[in-house]
Amino acid sequence: MASTSISKAEKSYIQAGFLSSPPLRADGRALHDFRSVALETGVAPLANGSARLSIGANAHDGGGGTEVLAATKLEVENVEEDGCDGGRIVCTVTCSPAAYPQLSSNALDDLQYDMTVILHQTLSHPSLHPNNLGILPKKKSWLLNLDIVVLADAGNIYDAIFMAARAALWDTKVPKTRSVEYKVRKGNSGGVVGGKTGSSGDMDVDEETTSGFDTRQIQQATDFELTDYWDEGEVLDGRERWPISITLNLPPPTHFLDATLPEESAVPLKALLVYSFPPSESPNVQAMRILGSGELTVVLLKDLVKEGEKYARELFIALNSKLKEEDIRRNQKARERFARR
Amino acid sequence: MGSRVEILNEGGFRSDGRRQFELRDMTIDLSQRGIADGSALITHGLTQVLVSVFGPREAKMRSQTIHDRANINVEVSVAAFSTGERRKRSRGDKRILEIASTIKSTFEPVVQTNLYPRSQIDVFVQVLQQDGGVLQACINGTTLALINSGIPMLDFVCAVTGGVHSTSPMLDLTLLEENDIPNVTVAMMPKTGKIALVTMETRLHVDRFKEIFRLVSDAGKVIHGEMKSAVLSRSTSLVTAMGSGPRTRGGDLEERDVDDQMNNY
Repeated sequence: MASTSISKAEKSYIQAGFLSSPPLRADGRALHDFRSVALETGVAPLANGSARLSIGANAHDGGGGTEVLAATKLEVENVEEDGCDGGRIVCTVTCSPAAYPQLSSNALDDLQYDMTVILHQTLSHPSLHPNNLGILPKKKSWLLNLDIVVLADAGNIYDAIFMAARAALWDTKVPKTRSVEYKVRKGNSGGVVGGKTGSSGDMDVDEETTSGFDTRQIQQATDFELTDYWDEGEVLDGRERWPISITLNLPPPTHFLDATLPEESAVPLKALLVYSFPPSESPNVQAMRILGSGELTVVLLKDLVKEGEKYARELFIALNSKLKEEDIRRNQKARERFARR
Repeated sequence: MGSRVEILNEGGFRSDGRRQFELRDMTIDLSQRGIADGSALITHGLTQVLVSVFGPREAKMRSQTIHDRANINVEVSVAAFSTGERRKRSRGDKRILEIASTIKSTFEPVVQTNLYPRSQIDVFVQVLQQDGGVLQACINGTTLALINSGIPMLDFVCAVTGGVHSTSPMLDLTLLEENDIPNVTVAMMPKTGKIALVTMETRLHVDRFKEIFRLVSDAGKVIHGEMKSAVLSRSTSLVTAMGSGPRTRGGDLEERDVDDQMNNY
């Protein structure tokens, strides 16, 4: 993580603040308080789902703070070539040089790669795989590309990335497809396109009629079409499962959340824990990383995982209610405005 | 035949409902982003570009410093989701490097670099959405970000695209129009009317060029009006914010009296 350079005196001042009682932080927050998080979905109209998230931005002009843009795009691919039967997800993180102006472009590439690996390994895991990414079994499937752009980093970038990813995936709509079978008309050249539910060709007295009760025929769907060109589609499956992360910064023996840049420089050791809260099941830890230099005992780690789950659950509930609000704002309210026009 | 979109129909309307010489809706957002010294988010219709400027500051690469001027370093990155078809463009993509070097050569004579020898001015351009006129948006965004960061320039640089559909000239082209008709991008400086950039990658008849060139230069003045009012409103809000804070030292004698009276209560 790129950090600002601070002096030893400032470092020890910040560390002493965490260990004092009551713990003191530069902006007056408690150890487990987050800065204000702003979220907007549907920011990239050309994408299938998108979200813009900022942590700690000023209220009146939206500037400053950590800012992340996430967008998903769906592409069709052949299962034989690159695809996976049932679809697959690929995540990429790009860091704008404006977010890390002190890094050279090689260092920026390394940072991007680290973030990409963490995000991709967590989100492309089979336990989170949505079940509506297939189109034609064993032939065609959807490739979901999740692109994250880091526009500004004012600390706590991983939490922002995972939250933005969850919001963009929540917002993603998969176009509805219908598989299509080509039937050659008996005796003539050319094909007749029929739907899966049965062919709709002209009634020809000489033609052999296929009985609807004949179940011996196996449908050989070879292609697909969009049911409705203008419909955005159905929601991506498994939206409740997408995880969020909690970064626990560790000035031993305590821990705190949502570090600003100077706090990150003063306390390099962090534990990144990614939790998923599927409905009606117990929560899962989807990923865990120790970042920065320092040591951690197993006992401490166990406690951190338990504590982290509590914080993650609060964040999850808050994020969910905001996502539902955004859904209402964009769909219901827009429809009402259109009806009143 | 019936499904082909008309660039300009008999009623004088273009494919997005605009008239021939009508420019797209423009929005400018000059609020601070991250730790940039100056930034601007500009949209022309559906094309959206974010430009952040850092500097003048110490150069990261000593080899690129110039002894008597500041070095302007432009980096462009295009978001993969900016177009209809997702295209991941690496930072070294030739097209992107060309846009970056075009922006650099446009601003080198305009920015007063001789005031900051041996330092570097970084311009980071992020294209968020593309619908034609990307270079135009990048140049306009860069002008605003440079102004926002307080770097002295000789004048604004305003860019517009123009094209000719058979014999009718058109301004501010969308992607559909750019792919179809010959088009030129012109960046001009409104105070003097001087041209900072002319670039064209298609073929245009020399008889048509004069007309479209003149038109585009005039359109630049309209863009200048918008940019000026955005900068003015941003400056006004900053000055108001500065003025409304508490005065800790100095100030008028009357004000001090008022403060003393307040303290009595």
